Amino acid sequence: MSPQGSFAAALLDPERPCPAGLTAWNGSDPAPRFRVYRNNVIVSLIDALADTFAVTQELVGEEFFRAMARLYACAQPPQSRLLAFYGASFPDFIEGFPPAAGVPYLADVARLEQLRVVAYHAADVAPIGSDEIGAALADEGALPGLVFRLHPSLSVLGSAFAVVSLWAAHQGLRELSTVAPATAETALILRHGLAVEVIQVSAAAGVFIAALRVGESLGAAAEMAAAEDAGFDLAGTLGLLLQKEAVTALHSPRRSS
Amino acid sequence: MSTLNKSLTAASLAFALGAALSVAATPVAAQEKMADKEKCFGVALKGKNDCKAGAGTTCAGTSKIDYQGNAWSLVPKGTCEKTASPTSPTGFGQLAEFKEKKA
Repeated sequence: MSPQGSFAAALLDPERPCPAGLTAWNGSDPAPRFRVYRNNVIVSLIDALADTFAVTQELVGEEFFRAMARLYACAQPPQSRLLAFYGASFPDFIEGFPPAAGVPYLADVARLEQLRVVAYHAADVAPIGSDEIGAALADEGALPGLVFRLHPSLSVLGSAFAVVSLWAAHQGLRELSTVAPATAETALILRHGLAVEVIQVSAAAGVFIAALRVGESLGAAAEMAAAEDAGFDLAGTLGLLLQKEAVTALHSPRRSS
Repeated sequence: MSTLNKSLTAASLAFALGAALSVAATPVAAQEKMADKEKCFGVALKGKNDCKAGAGTTCAGTSKIDYQGNAWSLVPKGTCEKTASPTSPTGFGQLAEFKEKKA
């Protein structure tokens, strides 16, 4: 192993000895100094996770969270210099972490928190105006093939658990005792202006928006949503996307080709 | 999909999109909040910048120098280009990021 490799490995594994070849400025034993440094590295990573996954931490308590985050930080240290995005794989880690099995909704709440961070840092993109929608409406025959581009901050999270309600209860938006965690909920996460919003939508609306997001046409997305729930509210869902300025472009394959 | 089915779908999509426009015409809170503010580059002191995503995120408070040209603060609309910035080529804050000149 290279000197850098063994230094990095020793930073993440307290069982490893102080790397050879270190010297202190005053000739003292470098081992205690290295242990201080190692502790600072791990604690800073745990703090970064605690900032991103604040509700996850509240759900299991600080002691449990920090112990779990320490294991994650040692197993999966950052791959990028951007600490803001550290922890993208933390929800998957939580899902496979046996001591957290008693809190089955924990991984999905963590996913919601991670998607909020992604939305925070997504690029600004201007929404379409009503004139562009008017132009699309004027060519009715092309509507089923119309492809929407959605704001880069937008994501959809479908969960078997009440992720939106659990998250909202920890923002003081509703009473936690009224939340039934085992109720399936779908979250729409996006940034509108400067504010990241978490909006509960129906499962069918989630299917519809997720389909638009990956480039399915309006007609195909509407059919997939109707297959999920025949009572799917297409106008209301489109209205929500327009109101949140989440539609950034419309493409009609017939016109462009 | 049959031709008949397709035309029905197109008509219902047109109806839904038209109805969606009226839903979306409702005034929007986030826009109003931003309406009287503007992003002003080059006027924040070291570590006091706002962020692309708003205060409280991890890039807020990360600027390294006073009047850093690619860090911005939200300021009342119309005041940015009247705010002195020693690093700015114009001598004032700017609405887009700029390369600092030596203060």
